[in-house]
Amino acid sequence: MKTVSFIQAINEALFEEMERDERVFLIGQDIGIYGGVFKATKGLLDKFGPLRVIDAPISEVYIAGGSVGAAMVGLKPVPEIQFADFITPSMDQIIQQAAKMRYRSGGQWTSPMTLRVCCGGEVGGGPYHSQTNEQWFFSQPGLIVVLPSTPYDAKGLLKAAIRGDDPVIFFEHKKLYRMIKGEIPDEDYTVPIGKAAVRKEGKDITLVAYGLMYHKCLQAVETLEKEGLSCELIDMRTLLPWDRETILESVKKTSRAVLVQENTKTGGVMAEVAATIMEEVFDYLDAPVQRVCGLDVPNAPFAPPMEHFFLPNAEKIARVARKVMEF
Amino acid sequence: MPASKAAKKAPQDGTYGLPEATLMGLYEYLMTTRMVDERFRKLYRQGRFAGTYYSAVGQEATTVGPTYGLRDEDIIAPSHRELGAAITKGIPLVEIFAHNFARRNSPDKGKTHPCHYSSRAKGVMVAASTLAGQTVVGTGCAMAFKIMKKDNIVISFFGEGATSRGGWHEALNFAGIHKLPALYICQNNFWAESVPSTLQAGIEDFSDRAKAYGFPGITIDGNDIFLVHKISNEAITRARTGEGPTLIECKTYRYYGHSEIDPADYRRDEEIEVWKKKDPIPRAEKILLDIGLLTMEKRESLVERINQEIEDAIAVCEKEEYYPPEEAYNDVYSDQFPVRREEY
Repeated sequence: MKTVSFIQAINEALFEEMERDERVFLIGQDIGIYGGVFKATKGLLDKFGPLRVIDAPISEVYIAGGSVGAAMVGLKPVPEIQFADFITPSMDQIIQQAAKMRYRSGGQWTSPMTLRVCCGGEVGGGPYHSQTNEQWFFSQPGLIVVLPSTPYDAKGLLKAAIRGDDPVIFFEHKKLYRMIKGEIPDEDYTVPIGKAAVRKEGKDITLVAYGLMYHKCLQAVETLEKEGLSCELIDMRTLLPWDRETILESVKKTSRAVLVQENTKTGGVMAEVAATIMEEVFDYLDAPVQRVCGLDVPNAPFAPPMEHFFLPNAEKIARVARKVMEF
Repeated sequence: MPASKAAKKAPQDGTYGLPEATLMGLYEYLMTTRMVDERFRKLYRQGRFAGTYYSAVGQEATTVGPTYGLRDEDIIAPSHRELGAAITKGIPLVEIFAHNFARRNSPDKGKTHPCHYSSRAKGVMVAASTLAGQTVVGTGCAMAFKIMKKDNIVISFFGEGATSRGGWHEALNFAGIHKLPALYICQNNFWAESVPSTLQAGIEDFSDRAKAYGFPGITIDGNDIFLVHKISNEAITRARTGEGPTLIECKTYRYYGHSEIDPADYRRDEEIEVWKKKDPIPRAEKILLDIGLLTMEKRESLVERINQEIEDAIAVCEKEEYYPPEEAYNDVYSDQFPVRREEY
């Protein structure tokens, strides 16, 4: 075992998969000579050369769509969108091409690629460097959507994504890049896509989150446990297809749930989780399911107090959990 | 070769010195495409398949010419008026008809839009209706061929209207930077649905756009099948040998509306008549008759044979079943991620 940061875990996964499979190549802005704005691709150009680490022009349509084409004829592209905020130009290629390629060709053509997208707030990024927009992709069958919260999962899920046969939108929360360190094995491993992780078992209440919000929940759980609550904490890890079974089983056990997402509330991932809990395990519930989410405003505002106000945090989560317990 | 020497060698009979087998091959595919297209229009009007239909009658030379002679491994990135490319690339007529009939024997299993013919085996990717989207994807295939050091090429087809899309420019820009093995065929039929090309761009020749991306662009008579083939073939050879992409604008015309529900009354009748005089089929026939490669008897028996193939294909398809509706659940992901069945 060794201890690495989140960004090191990403870099190692890319390095190892490129070494393991010559079909894997990278394309994105500033990923080559510069090594990526967060250094996720540091050293890869020197090791693998300009045919496999391509510094792209400012062309998000092409970065996504060109990768679809390369995947169709046998390569394993790992394109990068530098900030989730800049993914909008490539939506056509992601939704109309990548997500629908297998389906609309009746399984003849596939586009297995892993689109890495740096996302997330609490970094003072304002409207164009702090968005989380996984919910746009979450509602598009044909895509896999992954958003890990630990270095171990980041490396294992990225490897699983690259080795898979489906298009994956792989979100990396930029706040976690250097904030979080964790242990990973020295040897090769993958983490299965589509499986949530029960990070902590408990019997009174279930908290569900992913990405940075998983860490916020972890802080909330520390407080709540001191108050005598037994909390179960689930990290979704894969958002589409999401692990219904693990979440539903947990809620059946605890009968209470608080769902936390950084993204704006309306139409988000947790709306779907809440609806499914209601559809499937209504009889087990002792209180209404509650959500703690980003505010329903166009973006995280820039001024630090306003950004803080916009985002969920441990205090908000703990308050909502107590309310659910008191119901 | 210096221009003067080339001019001396090239025959002035309209064949551009193409081999006899190529001349006849091009003519046969041109004829087949026209006949299949006209048959589809009738079938649609008779209500024998659903949805809509996009006829390419009048502009067949622009799709048959570049596609003729490609390898299976070469890729066609089509739009919605590339029936000629689909047939010429080798998709069997049964599959062509099965696609619009949306039956079990269609390669896409009845899941995609009409006229989006596709075949993995024959290297025809499935189109999307967000125009020029396929140009981006096709350019990605060309990028892959370069990375893999394969000498396959990619032809992207699109209308002049699609060249207004941002993604189109991103694709050609990238192809220019990396000298990708790509050929871009612009079928300028002067109308993007109802919008004339004068409201589409401030340039007359859409091939001018290539200048901005650092590779050759050329405008040609898109109704001269032999010219279209010759010029495309030269560009394909350059692409295969690492010399990079070419944009070829083929000026041509579609005789009917954007789709079968479009009466195309935004155009003047005189304009259509002018173009009908330039129809690619009689032009090719005259050249072939003049050099004695074609006779009227040969023509008749060819038409008869194609007709028979068409009627046979239709008969097979109309007897074919639809997929059971539960097929809707398949082909979403790889087998690793089956879609949950709903019970309503």
